[in-house]
Amino acid sequence: MVGQNKGKKRGASSHEAPAEKAPLFPKSKGIDVPSDPEYSSDDDEEVEEGDFDEMLKEMANDQGIDSDDANDYIAGDSLDEEEEEEGDDESDIHSSDIEGASSEDGDDESEDGEDPEESDNEEDSSLERVASRSTDGQHTAVDSQNEAEGSGEEELDEVNMDKLTIRDFVGDIQGWKEYRKTLPQIDAGYASDSSTEDPANTIGNVPIEWYEDYPHIGYDIDGKRILKPATADELDKFLANMDDPDVFRTARDEVNQQDVKLSEEEIDIIRRIQGGNIPDADYNPYEETVEWFTSKTMQMPLSGAPLAKRGFIPSKWEHKRVMKIVRAIRQGRITRSGAPSQDTKPRFYDVWEKAEENDDDNTHQKRMARRARMPAPRLALPSHDESYHPPAEYLPSEAERQSWLDEDPDHRKKNYLPQDFGSLRSVPGYERFVQERFQRCLDLYLAPRMLKRTTQLNAEELMPKLPDPRDLRPFPSVESLVYLGHTGRVRSISVDPTGLWLLSGSDDGTVRLWEIVSGRCAKIWDLKETVHMVAWCPSADVCVFAAAAGSRTVIVIPSELCDEHKRLLSEELVRAGFNSAAQAEEGEEEDDSLPVSWDMPTSAEQATGIHVSVTMHKTVKSVMWHRRGDYLATLTAEEGGSSVLIHQVSKHKSQRPFRKLKGAVQSIMFHPTKPWFLVATQRYVRIYNLMQQALIKTLQPGVKWISSIDVHPQGDNVIVGSYDKKLSWFDLDLSVKPYRSIRYHRQAIRQVQYSRKFPLFATTSDDGTIQVYHGMVYQDLNQNPLIVPLKILRGHEIRNSLGVLDCVFHPIQPWLISSGADGTIRLWT
Amino acid sequence: MGKIKKKFSEGSSRTYTTRNRALRKLQVSLADFRRLCILKGIYPVEPRSQKKANRGSSKPTTFYYAKDIQLLLSEPLIAKFREHKIFLRKLQRALGKDDLTRAKGLETRRPEYTLDHLVIERYPAFVDALRDLDDALCMVFLFATMPTVSKVTNEIVEDCKRLSTEFMHYVIHSHCLRKVFLSIKGIYYQAEIQGQSITWIVPYQFSQNVPLDVDFKVMGTFLQFYRTLLGFVNYRLYTTSNLSYPPKVDQSMDDSAAGLGSLRIEAKRVEDLIKATQPTETTVPEVAMTKEMKQRMETLGSKIKKIVAADTTAPAYESVGDADGDQDDESQQSDNQLFAKQVFYLSREVPRYSLEFVIRAFGGRLGWDQTSGGGSPYAENDRTITVQISDRPVQGHQFLDRIYVQPQWVYDSINARRLLDVDDYLIGQTLPAHLSPFVEYEEGDYVPEAASKLAAAAGFEGEVTNLKPEDRDQSEDSEEEDVADIDGASADEDAPDSDDDEEDEDAIAEKQHQKQLLAERAGVSFSEYQQKQTAKPKPTAAGKKRSKAEIEEEERQKIAISMLSKKKRKVVNRTQADAYKKAKDVNTLKTRKAQAAKSAKGKKN
Repeated sequence: MVGQNKGKKRGASSHEAPAEKAPLFPKSKGIDVPSDPEYSSDDDEEVEEGDFDEMLKEMANDQGIDSDDANDYIAGDSLDEEEEEEGDDESDIHSSDIEGASSEDGDDESEDGEDPEESDNEEDSSLERVASRSTDGQHTAVDSQNEAEGSGEEELDEVNMDKLTIRDFVGDIQGWKEYRKTLPQIDAGYASDSSTEDPANTIGNVPIEWYEDYPHIGYDIDGKRILKPATADELDKFLANMDDPDVFRTARDEVNQQDVKLSEEEIDIIRRIQGGNIPDADYNPYEETVEWFTSKTMQMPLSGAPLAKRGFIPSKWEHKRVMKIVRAIRQGRITRSGAPSQDTKPRFYDVWEKAEENDDDNTHQKRMARRARMPAPRLALPSHDESYHPPAEYLPSEAERQSWLDEDPDHRKKNYLPQDFGSLRSVPGYERFVQERFQRCLDLYLAPRMLKRTTQLNAEELMPKLPDPRDLRPFPSVESLVYLGHTGRVRSISVDPTGLWLLSGSDDGTVRLWEIVSGRCAKIWDLKETVHMVAWCPSADVCVFAAAAGSRTVIVIPSELCDEHKRLLSEELVRAGFNSAAQAEEGEEEDDSLPVSWDMPTSAEQATGIHVSVTMHKTVKSVMWHRRGDYLATLTAEEGGSSVLIHQVSKHKSQRPFRKLKGAVQSIMFHPTKPWFLVATQRYVRIYNLMQQALIKTLQPGVKWISSIDVHPQGDNVIVGSYDKKLSWFDLDLSVKPYRSIRYHRQAIRQVQYSRKFPLFATTSDDGTIQVYHGMVYQDLNQNPLIVPLKILRGHEIRNSLGVLDCVFHPIQPWLISSGADGTIRLWT
Repeated sequence: MGKIKKKFSEGSSRTYTTRNRALRKLQVSLADFRRLCILKGIYPVEPRSQKKANRGSSKPTTFYYAKDIQLLLSEPLIAKFREHKIFLRKLQRALGKDDLTRAKGLETRRPEYTLDHLVIERYPAFVDALRDLDDALCMVFLFATMPTVSKVTNEIVEDCKRLSTEFMHYVIHSHCLRKVFLSIKGIYYQAEIQGQSITWIVPYQFSQNVPLDVDFKVMGTFLQFYRTLLGFVNYRLYTTSNLSYPPKVDQSMDDSAAGLGSLRIEAKRVEDLIKATQPTETTVPEVAMTKEMKQRMETLGSKIKKIVAADTTAPAYESVGDADGDQDDESQQSDNQLFAKQVFYLSREVPRYSLEFVIRAFGGRLGWDQTSGGGSPYAENDRTITVQISDRPVQGHQFLDRIYVQPQWVYDSINARRLLDVDDYLIGQTLPAHLSPFVEYEEGDYVPEAASKLAAAAGFEGEVTNLKPEDRDQSEDSEEEDVADIDGASADEDAPDSDDDEEDEDAIAEKQHQKQLLAERAGVSFSEYQQKQTAKPKPTAAGKKRSKAEIEEEERQKIAISMLSKKKRKVVNRTQADAYKKAKDVNTLKTRKAQAAKSAKGKKN
């Protein structure tokens, strides 16, 4: 019955054929053989079957089945075979229910648990599983029924089998259930999946090692312990192995604690797997394909529909496309590919021929040419040091070489390092050749160009056309005398109006009187405090000078120098104030806000010629006489309006011309011709009219810190010296901005001074030099003043970064007297 | 009230346009624009005021002349570029669809463009083209030695080789080479063609390394134009000197790496004759035949015979030279045919590619070793050879009837315009320094000893008057001068502008250094020198007086500078600084020279 079904199935589905043919399933194969066309001879099949019978016997022996049983079993098989030959077409009903039942039923049957029976069943069930897998549950059911009958009585009637139809079977389910109970267990055998195979030892997924120390190896289905079979000791095992010719094909089944001998087929399978082949020896991977449709020419069309019109009428669109191409060919737009081009013009010809013949100005090229083009600058031609064998002096020293290498390649002056190769054969290729060409290319199209008009300027041409200093003589040019004696900086010097005597005030607290021509020190006044300023009274009638020492200003009459008449006049001028001051005190209230007190000096001082002492609150920095000799302006070191005071000597009266003053006053000066007063603050020079009490103008020298000012004797020009090394010349008639700014000194300018008699002026500076200029002011207003630098006088030493502090021109001679921080006074003639 | 003028409607903002604006106007991509700029020779410009030119924006921008861009608008190349773009698109589409037949068809119709019109546009006259030939030659000569890289295909390289060889042949034929210089970068050549000095550099023939940081696309575009330009220039040069263009390639010679010999330079007349025999291609009308031409035609037969005869024996150039030679001026010829009487033989280690060109350009004949290329007209054992150029420490076998010199002799002789004495250049000799012939000496420049020697030997009194041999044992007088010079130079440092103390110190240090240098020159130690100076403070009265006058003059100068306006003062100071620097450089060179001489002497001893 089984065989019948199988045969039928094979016919229906081709894919099962290999499985059935497989040697793994020897029984089914044996059964299959007759129906299989490939197995042509029965003899072959029988041989195989015989082999298999032997194997079964062996297995039975192993499991303790007597050979009779096994033989019975085989007999049963052969019976099946006969059945199969009947070739019956039985019904094919699918029923999953039945299938499920059949598997259940297998489980139930296992309860019977007879060992020989079981092993027997095992073989059977393995056979059966194949069927159940390949076909359906019904067959299984049929088979199981079959076996139920066959297990007891081997001689099953063929006729009976035929009659046992499915309908009968399904009809009586109750009967089936009972029937099932009686059925022996079906073992799926080889053909079954291992998952459905029931091992004798049902310990589940427990590692077998856990049982190593126990006498049992697990539990059977009833929960009873399965005892380990007695094991021989190692020696016995060894001996047994030695005796056993099949030892190489014996594998140990750990779970069931038994040795399993592998069959030839199994070993073959293993070999095949090891060799990477398909395990099934009979499987033919290159089977001929069965061409179901293509190989046969059908006589009749599948469809009776008439042929579509487009199948036999030429396409309009194709026609259009073709015509397009035809037209293109006719018009010559499409030529045969590979045909030589019509243009046989040579690659190069004389392009300039026409251009040179054609003198027409309006051609495009000419227009292009007319445009101002900036041709790219040519690359510089190589110099000697680029030679492969340059003169030795062009080779860089090691330090230069290193610095060249360390430098950023973009900032190198030269992009190569001079090298001497000695001979041409040792010259290597230049590595950066391509890069340099590339750089040139980039320069040509990326670098912006600009026409730079450079006139080759000659320094001599640029030099100003100045008169030769030799034509502008006399001017002081040589150092003639040095007046030595001061121990501190000589801050201020002054020449008396007659030009015979020189006064000097120094940091050592003394005022000294010198005879100019001889350099003799005629007298010394010790004022105890730093003498900031000494100034002769400019009036020729009197012989008076003022000296600022500390916060005191003393007015002195050097009686030795003047005759009696002059002395009297001087004393009158100086001392008259005591009376008038007393009267004034009586008459009206003195302005108390003024920080001034006119005092009579001590008698000791009076003996030295000091007649009046004016004391102020702050250090007096500067003392300036008015040209008439009656007024005296003092500048103290303080901010605000009270820093500048004007004193009337004859009346011993002081007044404050400015209620408030912006900025720190640096220098003050009376105008030589007009009733003007100049105040130099840090940045500006302000000129006030004292009569009108108004600001006239503010000069803007554009310097940061004014140091000194002087007014030209004619009154129209002012020079301003600054600590930022600049000298500015102002023409008061022109502008408040300097007419000329000259920067020669390398250090701050300390003093600027006009000569009263000659067209000269001088500047002294902390760099130890005195610069003498020719400064001619013309009467003609249209003519600008002429300024010519004449001479640099060097001689003073620099002490504590202070150089020449003061200078003064001789009132009669073209001489210059200067004093410096080195304590010397020098006469330049 | 007048009409309110629109902003930026005239002036700088109209004259210039920015690059982005140009791109928008031309409707091309940046790459195309750059290509156009390269080909058309359009360059960015720098306006005087960027802000005005860029409509009030002071962003850094590239400016072009608006007129240039306007001209670009009508450039046919733009259309060609577009065509090419479309072609590429089609091709890509065809390839993407695996439509190979279509792709092939497209490929055959690949749009191509020539740059002929650009040549005439950029260089309306031939002289203009010659003037701008330097870069073109450098590039073409470079690429003639390049390996093929992407964007520079084998055809391009071959074309460059061909063009450069053609140009060299012209130079050889017209004997217009003037100067040659072996530099560490390559070999500079200077030729004078139609009154224009053309200088180019050729790399030493080693395999060029192809750098990664170079965009060969850009170089390729340049090269494209330069090849066209050089082709047209070559054509013009050949035709004007009565040679046929293009010269024919002698395949067998080319295969044997004959170099220059692979091109056959032929007189044009032969070709004309052939043309004249073909009735269809007659270009010269009968009327235009002048008397001279007729005469030429009469003598043609004999000349052709001569040429043919010469062809079989010696390379063609000689015969052509002979044919043209009778027209040349005698003196000119002697100057430009320096090696006319020499027959050279090149050993295998000397650079034939350069020497062959140079020797032939100066009328010499030469043969070479078989290993450095085929086609040598002379074998090594030829008895006519007078000079063998060899660059090896020792020459084994020597022929007695010729002299063996190192290659530098050829180059130095060319630069000196006469055959130099060979004694210094013999095999194994330490060569005299190889000087650049491009240096022109001005007043106060340093003149290397070799140059002054050469000048002295040549007796060029009129030409290089200020060339005085820099000799160590000169009179005291010149030493004095040096002192004065140095003082003057250092005094510049004291100029009013340099007010920093640092600078002063520098100046002092410089002075000290100069003194040390002087001491060195005098060959004594510095301390000794100082002692000497202090011991006898320059005795001669005349010298003292002069120095005093000089000092006065110098002071006057300084004072005068203080009176200059700031602008002028800067210029003066700069010129003075330049002069000072120059003097300093010269001084360094002098001292180095002295040191080198000293060490050389020491070695000898």
